[in-house]
Amino acid sequence: MSSQIFITSAQQISIQKPLCEEWMDSPVYYEEKFVRCVDPDFRQFISAGEARRMGKLLKRALATSLSALKEGSVEHPDAIITGTGFGSVENTEQFLDAMVRQGEGLLKPTQFMQSTHNTTSSLIGIHTGSHGYNSTYSQKFLSFDSALYDAWLQFRLGKIRTALVGGHDEMSEVFHGFIRKGGFICEKDICSEAAVSVLFDNDPGERKVLCALGGVSIMNNPGERKIMESVAKLLADNGLDIRDLGGVMTGMNGCADEDAAYSWIDSSLPGIPELRYKHIFGAGFSAPALGVYAVCHCLSQGFIPSVLVDGATGSLDCGRAILTVNCDERRHCSLVLLKRV
Amino acid sequence: MSDRRSVHITGAGIVCAAGLDAAQVLDTLLSVDTGIAPLKYLKTAHSEFPVGEVKLSDEQMRIMLGIPENVPTTRTSLEAMLALRQALAQSGITASDIHRAGFVSGTTVGGMDMSECHYLDFIENERYNAYLRTHDCGSCSEMTAEHFGDFAFITTISTACSSAANAIGLATEMIRAGEADIVVAGGCECITRFHLNGFNSLMILDRNPCRPFDAQRAGLNLGEGAAYIVLESEDSARRRGVKSLARITGYANACDAFHQTASSPDGEGAYLSMKAALADAGLRPEDIDYINAHGTGTPNNDLSESRAMQRLFGEHLPPVSSTKSVTGHTTSASGAIETVICLLALRAGFLPVNYGWATPMPEGGVIPNMELSRGIVLKHILCNSFGFGGNDSSLIISAL
Repeated sequence: MSSQIFITSAQQISIQKPLCEEWMDSPVYYEEKFVRCVDPDFRQFISAGEARRMGKLLKRALATSLSALKEGSVEHPDAIITGTGFGSVENTEQFLDAMVRQGEGLLKPTQFMQSTHNTTSSLIGIHTGSHGYNSTYSQKFLSFDSALYDAWLQFRLGKIRTALVGGHDEMSEVFHGFIRKGGFICEKDICSEAAVSVLFDNDPGERKVLCALGGVSIMNNPGERKIMESVAKLLADNGLDIRDLGGVMTGMNGCADEDAAYSWIDSSLPGIPELRYKHIFGAGFSAPALGVYAVCHCLSQGFIPSVLVDGATGSLDCGRAILTVNCDERRHCSLVLLKRV
Repeated sequence: MSDRRSVHITGAGIVCAAGLDAAQVLDTLLSVDTGIAPLKYLKTAHSEFPVGEVKLSDEQMRIMLGIPENVPTTRTSLEAMLALRQALAQSGITASDIHRAGFVSGTTVGGMDMSECHYLDFIENERYNAYLRTHDCGSCSEMTAEHFGDFAFITTISTACSSAANAIGLATEMIRAGEADIVVAGGCECITRFHLNGFNSLMILDRNPCRPFDAQRAGLNLGEGAAYIVLESEDSARRRGVKSLARITGYANACDAFHQTASSPDGEGAYLSMKAALADAGLRPEDIDYINAHGTGTPNNDLSESRAMQRLFGEHLPPVSSTKSVTGHTTSASGAIETVICLLALRAGFLPVNYGWATPMPEGGVIPNMELSRGIVLKHILCNSFGFGGNDSSLIISAL
């Protein structure tokens, strides 16, 4: 690798306090099984007139994106890439509901336009006047990872110097029903929403850096041996050893079906602390983006707060790197290696 | 880049209104005919709009693919499987090749054709719950890919009408970066009531057969279908002993950053994506022998795209045509369907005709190609795909 890819900002709007890392000390815990985001005051990002025409997902995506760009002092990122599993479900639902119940008469173009998944990336492009690479991935729980993989590839090919990568999903009552009926998430999990923006920069100069990206790997139905080969390669490519890992962040949540996808970790990464995020941020197509976001801040601050570690009494050292593993019903699996700078 | 490798096309499959395979589509193009016709398969109140439907029912496609009625699937995936099967067969891809190959597909509508039928059931009963798992874009790609085996990598791009072009773009970059030797890429989209009504609400559907680049153009005709190409490194194609059909030599993606559903008057995004694709391929404007335009037939797109082409190519503007008056606007699939059309033109040596064009635009837009010019030698073709929100992408397909 000729040059490092740094993360200069990672922002979230979730079921925790928005646009800050207060959850590291004092997370909010919920009893409910469907929790929507704690929204910030959007007026600091967009005018009331603009906001009126935008669904929740778009407002949140703009807020996290603009915050990340501001913190990282980038006006026009070379790439804007978004991952979303279901896109703007409120607009999709409104358009679909009107069409099915009232017929194919007068339907609203704004709802249709916002139901299209690429609305988010293009809105960020329009709002910031960015003419660079602009794309959108929709691959269920690997939507954000796919977006991240694309950015990683383009950095490696020397095509970009900065990238804004997002993971954005919202949830409505009706689609929450669909998520449950479709069995997309574990019954025990909180069905939540997520808006995450991460800014990458390979030449941040004197600016603050949270951590560096060591690599991304996405595999379909890999089996344990192939996953371990990929982990070994990721570490070797970065001159790291398993012992350098301060933790492995997973989507484990106490549901046997889902946790089985991570069963190889115990034997393959012995002694490496297992970190979790779903009990703090909930589950959903873009929740894995919150796992990566959380790791960015652990590496930036140099420790892993106890809230991320099952049964821990105090914080842990973050080590030289943290691996994030995101497995989806044992079929898709992604690895994201982030390094301490 | 020192590690940059050339990217070969070793197989292609296509299913659209113009034909159910490459041979049929070639025949339609060479006969200067169109697949656009009155609505037949989609159940909608809007029968006034001509469309480019795949001339098969879901049941016929299920039979062709051997998928029993009790297995939940969607029209988008059925079309995708038919096209993917052709591409894999032409490239001689085996089960073990699939294990190390990537699959990148573009779609936006995904499984909406079934969701819009069962939306109230989803809310009120449990009868069609299986179709909740065919609704999203990612599931559409998984269903399509898994019909043929376990691909090593699957992802889905959803940038509206440039989805398939970006899928081919990502696949190209994966091979260049040495991430994979074989990546199958393309896109799929069936016509749904959802987006037929969506486009209607935006008032960009023509009640007559569409006429891209014509003074009288009044909108687009929706089409549907799927196309996939097998992209492969030179080493891999040699090892497998398969013939390269052409290469992808350039790809770029730029954002118009102007409006969510309209293109800028000067076509800035289109200009930037075409310019960057040329730079990516190391070509000059005069090296391009033919442009397959996005050319939807909407007043806005065709003028904006004309301006962008005129700005970039100036006096070197090669023959240009839109084939959307033959296939309909196949939205997320269009980038792949048109890449395969470019491949057919390049291999058979002809220029696709801009079917239905009659009158030049008074504003001085591009005058599209109306002659087949059979026997012509084409070295480099530029293919444009532009999506909502100014998601503009260009691909360059080159002869060997």
